[in-house]
Amino acid sequence: MSTVLTEPSNGSKAEVEATSLDRPPAWPHRHLLDTDVLTWPQVELVLDTADAMAEIVAKRRPRSDALRGVGVTNLFYEASTRTRVSFEVAARHLSADVVNVSVGGSSIEKGESLLDTMRTLESLGARVLVIRHAVSGAPYLVAREFRGSVVNAGDGRHAHPTQALLDLYTLHRHISGGSLRGRKVVILGDVLHSRVARSNLWTLTAAGADVWVCGPATLLRGFEAWAAAGVGGERRFTVTTDIVAALRDADAVMALRLQQERMAAGLLPSTHEYAARYGLTAERLALAREGCLILHPGPMNEGVEIAPDVASGPRSLVKKQVANGVAIRMAVLALVTSAGERSDR
Amino acid sequence: MSAIASRPARTGAGAEIGRPVDLDLTGAWLVDPSTGREGPAELVVRGGRIDSLAWLEGASGDANERGVVVAPGFTDLHAHFREPGGEAAETIATGLAAAAHGGFTTVCAMPNTTPPIDRAAMVEAGRAAADASGSPVRLLQVGAATAGRAGEQLAPLGELADAGVVGFSDDGSPIQRADLLRHALAYGGMLGLPVIDHPEDLTQTSGAEANDGLVATVLGLRGWPAAAEATAVARDLAILAEVARDVPSARLHLTHLSTAESIDLVRRAKAAGMPVTCDVTPHHLALTDEWLAGARRWAWQALDDHGIPRDPWRDGALESEPYDSALRVNPPLRGAADAHACVVGLADGTVDAVASDHAPHTQVDKAVEFGLARRGIAGIETVLGLLLEAVDAGQPSLLRAIEALTVGPSRVVGDAAGAAPGFAEGAPADLVIFDRSARWTVEAEQLLTRGWGGPLLGRSLSGLVLLTVAGGRLAYEDAEPA
Repeated sequence: MSTVLTEPSNGSKAEVEATSLDRPPAWPHRHLLDTDVLTWPQVELVLDTADAMAEIVAKRRPRSDALRGVGVTNLFYEASTRTRVSFEVAARHLSADVVNVSVGGSSIEKGESLLDTMRTLESLGARVLVIRHAVSGAPYLVAREFRGSVVNAGDGRHAHPTQALLDLYTLHRHISGGSLRGRKVVILGDVLHSRVARSNLWTLTAAGADVWVCGPATLLRGFEAWAAAGVGGERRFTVTTDIVAALRDADAVMALRLQQERMAAGLLPSTHEYAARYGLTAERLALAREGCLILHPGPMNEGVEIAPDVASGPRSLVKKQVANGVAIRMAVLALVTSAGERSDR
Repeated sequence: MSAIASRPARTGAGAEIGRPVDLDLTGAWLVDPSTGREGPAELVVRGGRIDSLAWLEGASGDANERGVVVAPGFTDLHAHFREPGGEAAETIATGLAAAAHGGFTTVCAMPNTTPPIDRAAMVEAGRAAADASGSPVRLLQVGAATAGRAGEQLAPLGELADAGVVGFSDDGSPIQRADLLRHALAYGGMLGLPVIDHPEDLTQTSGAEANDGLVATVLGLRGWPAAAEATAVARDLAILAEVARDVPSARLHLTHLSTAESIDLVRRAKAAGMPVTCDVTPHHLALTDEWLAGARRWAWQALDDHGIPRDPWRDGALESEPYDSALRVNPPLRGAADAHACVVGLADGTVDAVASDHAPHTQVDKAVEFGLARRGIAGIETVLGLLLEAVDAGQPSLLRAIEALTVGPSRVVGDAAGAAPGFAEGAPADLVIFDRSARWTVEAEQLLTRGWGGPLLGRSLSGLVLLTVAGGRLAYEDAEPA
């Protein structure tokens, strides 16, 4: 195990134990707003860095000095437990100074604009802003102005890059053969409203997986055209409303959370009907390959999009996803801060 | 550049706005859509009136359409000047100044102010503000179609007509109730005035953020279907067909059409002889939803040789950051095929006018999350520049483009616009002079609108406006070049 040096903005050199990369490729992204900008070597760098971070996490007293003295602020405009705590734990493992800001309602209701809030937090020492926001694209607005690094912790329907990276990391660790190339991965459920699905489409297709998205037609709106165009204009995937076709010979299935508000919006007749037609049950999973891996970004509606015995069954990686999320977020925090900060102000 | 050399000495001083203009223009390219003629001409203006116009032939006519162009002053059918209630975004005075910079000498202001223009006294107040501004640009007012724009009962249409409005509209919103649209068309027809509808089926656009298409899907923006416009257009036309049988003077004008389907519906309605007109905006002609993802090419560059929209992710067209809230507008920027349909409709005459839908907003309302930003582009100063980009790309022709800014809109508002656009000897000069070969960069300091930001900031456009004359008086003059 060699040592990788990163250089946080405060100028002090901190040591991060990393993989056997003596000279890691430079990480060019000061922000992580989505997975769409990542080249495959960059994705691999995140995964390799997460491997090193996982070793730190596995210690009795997990601690690295990589972000000592670096202010990490979690700015959450939407309720979240697991993602917020995951980022907080990740930042603390790296010795960052963590501040949590939860804002009920939108910035408009609060009477202060998102940019004003950002400037306030910047003045209070935030070097990394981890943002969760209900409006697609909100982190891009902040990233245009913020001097430090912005990490997207979920924006509207658009993106949840650390989730996609931890999903990929988890799949890589558990899929037989260790590679997704040519393997059938199914994203099942409310794809239309899912930032998890969108970010995963970029990374899973980049990994060479045979990606299928499946759900009722109302929740697939627009995806047929995207599948035809290809992710990034080239990487095709398959869209179907036929859950039998989707699950047949699947190597991994990622079930998505179904929100109650989809019924009120007239997109679905009832949760009951959804569960009956698209719930991930043990019976349906018999169509998949033996050992098919099960993922869910959480929180789960057990009995709706996923049956309880599947959620907690032997092939379920849900708890692993949560644990791996910390290592991935440690890696992302270390990498984005290694890219320096804006110097033109 | 003999045309420039022969212009009166520029003062660049605002105090000169409103003074009668004398001009001796020789060797400029004159475009006169009222006669369908364009070519080198000699135009003399004395004391604000057209003294003489002579078309030049042969050696003396060495001007060309790529140099200095003279055209009748433009008429904008659709602008939001925000006064009263939104003066931080625009006032009538700043709006008129911006209009003159854009080459406009007549502007129809939409009534969705706070409160809305639904009484004669408010029309008078607007006219007084225009007079007080000192600008010679004519302000025409569109009156609300329903009281308070609430969509529940008709506004006092007769009272508004007596006060001089040029049409009725709840713009910003459609007239949602079909029965009220029917009554407004009949009553407006009786008064000799059009109903101007903003065609949008709100049940399909609740919470919508971006044109329903690949860009919205990839960016996770809530889709705004083209059908939301086409169904509203179809409804309006079905009602118009019936009303026009009883009230032959009933007229419908559909504003800011943005989709191929709705352009086609209007094309067929016109072929059937229905009393309908329509306009498109320059941004729906030239910009597409790709811009939301970061592309910055014109709509016609986003189609391949077979007319199929290109994929900006495939061909590397994404050059800017996504989610620029300056691009949030109603109706949304559409795909390249829809923009192309708007251009074709403009070229073939289905589209009567190009209107700015100038919709200024403050920084507070615009420098926010994309989905929370107010909808609108403050574009009255870039109408000509965007249209010339389309002309340069092949269609419409320069003459047709100028027609859609002059004779076309003038026909929609009829006699209320005053004298017909043209160069009749003895009439007050109403014209714009621009240099088609001179490029200018759209910068906040150059713009006279109070509206914040804009999708074209930093871009270079052709067609620098040199001089705008409204009613014989100076409305805008370009500063002396350094």
